[in-house]
Amino acid sequence: MMDEYAIGLIVAFVAIVITFVAAFREKNDIHRLIIADLGEVSALAVIALIATDLAEALIIPGLVVGISELLALSEIYLVREHLNRPVQQPFRIEVLDTAPTIIAVILVGYGIVLSGFTGGAVAGTGMIFYLMGKKQTERFALVETVSGYAWALWIVAFFIFMVVPEYWFFAVMLAGGAILAKVTAKMSLIGTMRGEKDV
Amino acid sequence: MFELASSSIGGQALFVLPFGDIVAYFSPFTAALFLFALIFTLVCIYSRPEKSMDIVFGTDALYAKEVTGKDLHFRRFMAIACGIATMGAVTSGDVFNFTLFVSMVGVCIIGITASVKNSQVQNTAFNYGIVAMLATIPLFGAAAITLAATGTLSIWELSAMAPAMPWIARALILVGVMGEGMAPFYVAKAELTRAPGAPYVLMIHVSSLLMFLRVVEIILTV
Amino acid sequence: MSDIDNLIALYSVIVIALAAIALISFIAVPIGYEDTQIYPKNINTSSSLNPYDRGGEPFGTTEVMAQYPQNSPNLGSVTAYLTPLSALMAVSNLYLGTTIVSHPGGIIDEILYNTRGMDTIVETSILFTAFAIASFLYRREEEK
Repeated sequence: MMDEYAIGLIVAFVAIVITFVAAFREKNDIHRLIIADLGEVSALAVIALIATDLAEALIIPGLVVGISELLALSEIYLVREHLNRPVQQPFRIEVLDTAPTIIAVILVGYGIVLSGFTGGAVAGTGMIFYLMGKKQTERFALVETVSGYAWALWIVAFFIFMVVPEYWFFAVMLAGGAILAKVTAKMSLIGTMRGEKDV
Repeated sequence: MFELASSSIGGQALFVLPFGDIVAYFSPFTAALFLFALIFTLVCIYSRPEKSMDIVFGTDALYAKEVTGKDLHFRRFMAIACGIATMGAVTSGDVFNFTLFVSMVGVCIIGITASVKNSQVQNTAFNYGIVAMLATIPLFGAAAITLAATGTLSIWELSAMAPAMPWIARALILVGVMGEGMAPFYVAKAELTRAPGAPYVLMIHVSSLLMFLRVVEIILTV
Repeated sequence: MSDIDNLIALYSVIVIALAAIALISFIAVPIGYEDTQIYPKNINTSSSLNPYDRGGEPFGTTEVMAQYPQNSPNLGSVTAYLTPLSALMAVSNLYLGTTIVSHPGGIIDEILYNTRGMDTIVETSILFTAFAIASFLYRREEEK
């Protein structure tokens, strides 16, 4: 008799076959891009079937690879189709003009309390909210520099784990803080990349 | 020193580099691949790009397509990143880590050709990029099936209990590398290398060749 | 085969064929699930950290089934560590568990950042590379 894993694997492979049949039949480039991104989800399903703590750890790299390839490819698509100016009026919602800054501050503060990767995501949402509302011509070079240094700090933390494992607590704090700064910076950069003309 | 399940993979291990659970190793085979990737990366760092000449049809005029300025810096950066990813892929001692390095090579290959302004090359880069994205599905699928069926991802453990990796996982990982490395799809490679800027563009060939040599080794040992 | 627009279709055909063979083989000879996995997952419903609980005492010893435990002498320390705030929330209420850490384990995921840290290095490098491509192309379009 088949166990649960074998049944799950069969279902996941049916999903993979469906994805690739869709990719085979689709001729529109933008739809192909979306299908390729959806296909990543079926790969994540195969990883999730392992159902251990390790599987949880393997899903995040799998997810990030898909997102980053989507990021690069959509930019290539825009260049190829010469879509370098927004076709319609930039996206405006009234609440963003009137919303108080306090919401952004709360989000950033909550993100810092959460810390780590998730905290970075929450704080990044707060930053995007603030930047979209206030039409800031923010200093992108500064944010990018922060992001770069945070990445380097996190690599330093990794080497502390590997070379001097007895200082693990210091490495945890370093990595937690660096990941928070990095994810926040990256999210606010990506979130505002398609904004105003003078950004 | 920690104990490894088997003492040698494809020849005596020369040097082992442990990163926690991921143990990179240099056997004579992987060390040779590593050296090759290193030399080619150094070539990319220190050499100046070629200037491809175009003859204007029917006249004596020639014009050179030069790679200069920011474009040059960007492509050199991408080629170096591709070289480093290749070095990682050929020495990695873990199936999932190997698949991640292979995906990184795929992203870097897109990057090398992305800045070219020729619309044909851009079209190819886009199509190749989608194949590279789709190819991560069989790659990660293969790693996941291996982990579920054997309980380990380390190539050391897998080679000790060989043949351990399900044959379907081997086939999937091969197809995944085919997608990232563009091996049987001659049309994409020919179009990609139409881009000017020789040492950087040739990094595409070198990295995919080395990835193939490595994946064959993995399939045969585990 | 010589047309670049058929590239994706060509690759899809190869994968579809392989996946179909795989499906048939899974039905005929199911792949067995190995029971001795590394980093096994335990569900302990009485724990206040329930879905994320990986066991262990902060600053004490924690049992973690790693591949090469000798490589990481302080295995489990990162997993068991909670910030004072999270620890307070964990002991005060059974239901604040999911909001506490928002990461499996302690402040950062030990598997991702310690034992299998190399994976995360490669992963962030991929993101970095893709971001470099996107921002380079974006800036170049801006300058025109």
